[in-house]
Amino acid sequence: MGKPRYAIVGLGMVTGPYPEGITARAAEAEAGRQAIADAGLRRGDIDGAVQLRRTAGGGERTPWADAFTRMLGVPAKFFFTVGRGGALAGLGIGTALGFLELGIAKYVLIAGGVEDWKSSRRTKEQGYRGMVHSEKAGYWGKPFGDLRAPSHHSFLAARHMYEYGTTSRQLGMIAVQQRAWACLNPRAKMYGRPITIEDHQSSPYVVEPYHLLDICLVSDGAVAFVLTTAERARDLAKKPVWVMGLGTGEVAESLWWDKQNYTHLAVKSAKEAAFAQAGIGVTDIDVAQLYDCFTGEVLFQLEDYGWAKKGEGGPFAEAGHIGPGGDIPVNTSGGLLSAYHYGDLTGLSEAVMQLRGGAGERQVKGAEVALVTGHGGELISPGMCSIHTSLVLGV
Amino acid sequence: MTYAKPLPNVDDDSRPQWEGFKQRRFLLFRCKTCGTWYWPKSFCRKHDNEPFFGNLEWAEATGRGKVFAFNIHRMAFHPGFANDIPYVYALIELDEGPLFGTNIVGCAPEDVQVGMPVEVTYEDITPEWTLPKFKPARAV
Repeated sequence: MGKPRYAIVGLGMVTGPYPEGITARAAEAEAGRQAIADAGLRRGDIDGAVQLRRTAGGGERTPWADAFTRMLGVPAKFFFTVGRGGALAGLGIGTALGFLELGIAKYVLIAGGVEDWKSSRRTKEQGYRGMVHSEKAGYWGKPFGDLRAPSHHSFLAARHMYEYGTTSRQLGMIAVQQRAWACLNPRAKMYGRPITIEDHQSSPYVVEPYHLLDICLVSDGAVAFVLTTAERARDLAKKPVWVMGLGTGEVAESLWWDKQNYTHLAVKSAKEAAFAQAGIGVTDIDVAQLYDCFTGEVLFQLEDYGWAKKGEGGPFAEAGHIGPGGDIPVNTSGGLLSAYHYGDLTGLSEAVMQLRGGAGERQVKGAEVALVTGHGGELISPGMCSIHTSLVLGV
Repeated sequence: MTYAKPLPNVDDDSRPQWEGFKQRRFLLFRCKTCGTWYWPKSFCRKHDNEPFFGNLEWAEATGRGKVFAFNIHRMAFHPGFANDIPYVYALIELDEGPLFGTNIVGCAPEDVQVGMPVEVTYEDITPEWTLPKFKPARAV
């Protein structure tokens, strides 16, 4: 393994629902305040900032693009927005590394917040369901009722079921095991609300084959973290969490209608790059935070990363490997399905907590290597979630 | 009565295809050099291209294919679809190759199967817009 050159040194997190009068912008600023304090830094130390924002995958949402940096009061020399669907943290780190490498910045504050819960309450009163209703320029499917993420993500599960005989019960066991993790996380939305496979099966179909309990939450909240260089990281308040590897993959590497795109995510290139930089294999991963907008994406990644053979993710998940006490703990916060949906910042925040040994009742003993994956950004509807990011963190 | 659902979100890359639907013509983007079909509009992947798609054109395709994957919407995310549920949204593997996303109409959602032969049928939703949907194919 090469010597890590960059580290996450501070973490801040706000979980919703927001009290009256709190915006995503304010939550980003507050999470940023916490992250700076967590690192033992002061606001004046922050000389660069990146805002993470879902763009293509989650619709175009710019109303809060006003700088959280202005609100927080950090003297950043650069500030801009990156993100592609739920692929946020990996792209934010990849971007910030260049500024650290060039010496433009010493400490970069990276933050992303959402107010999807708040928005969805409002649009529900107008007869809509799901996240805030937004149009996407050039988007194909809306006249046909391809309106929300389950409208096209469910093709993946449907095709996997057709090709490999995967069942709804097998997908449901992913939701059940993640819920068990959420019940160990007091900040999770579904804390104290365990579910059984029968609960999953009897939950209503939203877009068949997906039941309600196959589908992630919408949330309020924000996550912020401070990224710096290895030599600076050693002098700060908390044990550094090293950036060991980062890789990306795109569905558009092949024709977007290639058949493999419906039973695989774009993991291959992302995994190869990240694992090679980190000098690890899949068995070295102690805790995996896999992007889980739906149960199907988790199943695909269990196969694509190699915990299960292609086509055998269903029986693997059903056998119970991924919940508390399992041999590969997956989405230990409860994930997007059961805790809170901040894109891959949900996974990033959880990985940092696990690697620092501060995850409370859900702490995975001896966790030293964590995988965080990001996913999102349709090419077009019928939407393929185009990008995949692999981030390997370690202590 | 006003049309209560979202209208097509068209830009200059897709406009010719929508003009075609209005005239009951199912157009896809085809390479004049090697005959490969694309949708949405793309440069040909199989060889070098002339500037700005000079070697490609919108051309009439069969409008036939097979169901590749489908789902059944059982909740209306948008109030305009409240009377349509349950409805099927599907990927059609067109005879020309590309996958095409649209509704399957003309049969019960429960009767749709992967591999089922389907063909295009047109629905005029407003004087300006025509939607290409697919239905179970007649025998050829």
